[in-house]
Amino acid sequence: MTTEEVKKETPKKKKESGKQVVIPLLQHIGITCKPLVKVKDEVLIGQKIGENSDGLCAPVHSSIAGHVVAIEERLHPLCGKISSIVIESDETNRAIEYNPHNNPSKEDIINAVQEAGIVDLTGYPLYDMLTTYNRIDTVLINLTFPGDVNSNCAPENIPKIIEGMKLLMKGSGALDGAFIIHKYNQSLSSVIKSKLHDENIEIFTVKDNYSPTMANLLAYEITGIPVPNTQTPLDAGVILSSASGALAVTRAVNEGIPHIEANVTVSGAVRNPGTRRVNIGTSFKEVIQSSGGYSGEPGKIIMNGSLNGTAQPNDEVPVIKSTTEIIVQSTDEVLCESPGPCIHCARCVDVCPVNILPGRIASFSDMGMYDECFKMHVSSCIECGQCFYVCPSNRHLVQLIKFAKVELVKLLTIPDEEATPIPGCQTCENPCLLGEPFISGGIA
Amino acid sequence: MKLTVSHPAHIREGVTINKIMWSKIAILLVLSLISAVVFGPKALAVVLISVLAAVLTEAGIQKLTKQELTIKDGDAVLIGLIMALLLPPTVDLWIPVVGAFFAVALVKHAFGGLGSTLFNPAIAAWVFMNMSWGALTGSESIPYLSGYTDLFIEFGSGRLAEVSSMVLIIGGLYLIYKKYIDWRIPTLYLISTIVMALLIGEELSYVITGMLFLGIFILAPDPTTSPITKKGRFIYGILCGILTVVYGYLTYDYVVAVLFTVFFANAVAPFIEKNTFPKPVNEVSA
Ligand code: SF4
Ligand code: SF4
Repeated sequence: MTTEEVKKETPKKKKESGKQVVIPLLQHIGITCKPLVKVKDEVLIGQKIGENSDGLCAPVHSSIAGHVVAIEERLHPLCGKISSIVIESDETNRAIEYNPHNNPSKEDIINAVQEAGIVDLTGYPLYDMLTTYNRIDTVLINLTFPGDVNSNCAPENIPKIIEGMKLLMKGSGALDGAFIIHKYNQSLSSVIKSKLHDENIEIFTVKDNYSPTMANLLAYEITGIPVPNTQTPLDAGVILSSASGALAVTRAVNEGIPHIEANVTVSGAVRNPGTRRVNIGTSFKEVIQSSGGYSGEPGKIIMNGSLNGTAQPNDEVPVIKSTTEIIVQSTDEVLCESPGPCIHCARCVDVCPVNILPGRIASFSDMGMYDECFKMHVSSCIECGQCFYVCPSNRHLVQLIKFAKVELVKLLTIPDEEATPIPGCQTCENPCLLGEPFISGGIA
Repeated sequence: MKLTVSHPAHIREGVTINKIMWSKIAILLVLSLISAVVFGPKALAVVLISVLAAVLTEAGIQKLTKQELTIKDGDAVLIGLIMALLLPPTVDLWIPVVGAFFAVALVKHAFGGLGSTLFNPAIAAWVFMNMSWGALTGSESIPYLSGYTDLFIEFGSGRLAEVSSMVLIIGGLYLIYKKYIDWRIPTLYLISTIVMALLIGEELSYVITGMLFLGIFILAPDPTTSPITKKGRFIYGILCGILTVVYGYLTYDYVVAVLFTVFFANAVAPFIEKNTFPKPVNEVSA
């Protein structure tokens, strides 16, 4: 069948891979990829379509075969609008020739991970963790984030996850590895135990669920080395990845397949909830349709966890590499009570994993006293959402805290046009970041 | 299709102010009924009048200042109820009316309403009534634990709240189990009271009264007036225990001791709080 014929066919609703995929050029923390293809170009499955070698960047690949119909700004599940490559499927499965490694060396692993554009759940490109300057002692795989566990820890995936762990250890030169499992998840730990034949890899049980944003806390919990919020677990000599990351590494190294698929669990108000293997770039709408469609009127669509996931503006947003969970809330599940006064019950203080006073900070933020928020360590908040979850007064704690952070950034940075060199100042010749009010008393 | 976009979290635990308040009210209502058994129907009259006065005051103030009516959250009811339980059944019925007005108008709303009070309104009102009409609000007898049955029903009590420790203990444990109140203050209060009494050499049968359990489970852990920091709540609990025993030892009245203890502890709570601000775990000192 030639491409021409394929195009003439009326598009049918297909099972998993959609007719069109939207692949955002930014699916990671770092800089945006530059597109490597033009509109109307043919692309194959696994073909690299965007990369940027100027900085921290994970390349993106086409997840279907077809041709590019547009390169434009499209909605992104995490950050507004991002320029994306829209590919229309030609309903074939033509793929590039994959380049698997048997018995890979350290360099092979790093190259494969980089080429595959693997992005961990935190949004961090995984290759950067392997090539860090820090000495890496331990590879941790966090199996406590419910979304990740539900999607990726099916028994048939466990050997691949263990293989991924070994590859990561080899790639980073770490001697130890550990799986971190919630203490109530006995079934998972017994499955892993039965498949694990390596004395360098251990299983740790912890009392809490750690979401990807809690990486620093988890590294602290396991290694005992405090990781301040300006650093990453890498600074404690730890690579912290997830089941999804480990699976992608195994696929990239052993099969040569780049990060073009994600396991996504659909739950909530859909007819047929469950886990599906989805091409990156498929719209949420299609994933939900393949789960039987909405049951009832949807009120909110959330990516990656009800506690700290992101609510989506509509269901056209694409699945990206760090998507593991799509939750649909029906209209009557959506929270819409108005907040009451803080009764200082301290429930938020008791649950806060970073040990700050969320209620107090939020009150200060509400009153516009951002300097007080700063003094109360608002920047330590990792936006885990637990304080809002427990607040009996329905205070919008996370929202107020986020707002205070944004306002603080505005307060602490001086706009470029105002940052001028201060005549007579001997310290340096750069535009003064402190601004005149601080200095004028001292020098003039 | 209209979708809501909002910040996380997208689900809630389901504990609300209403649930917390009305569970406490339910416990205290049981207590009031038992007090009616012990003291006769006059006790119920005191409770009713006091609650009614508190609710009407709140409604009046919120109408006058054009705020939203918040009777439903149960705070005014709770204030009236606690205040009534601190009074003896022999009290003149105009006293709870004045007390409830004082509690709701001056101690609660003048300071900013629910969540902003410095003192627990019911206790502050009791202190006010005690100062103004000490003879009228004083109790005729001070309970003494003479046997285990006294824990269930105490016929020698002088104030409504003392009639049954058991109701308060079971209710308090339920509140802790449901996480409606924090466990730290009650536990520490109880332990430090007993330890302190043993240290001083006081007989526990004087120390353990119904009022002590009201203090432990309802008055001291009152969310608004206790410190919010974890360490602060530890210190607060210990302080309450020490103050209770010291005051009771000096005045031979362990019932009033609890009330003054909570009043004083409320006063130092902001100070405790300020000195126990936690250090964020992910911030390493330079
Ligand atoms: S949980 Fe809510 S009501 Fe309680 S202290 Fe925190 S912000 Fe205030
Ligand atoms: S979201 Fe709330 S509970 Fe979570 S870290 Fe921030 S303040 Fe603490």
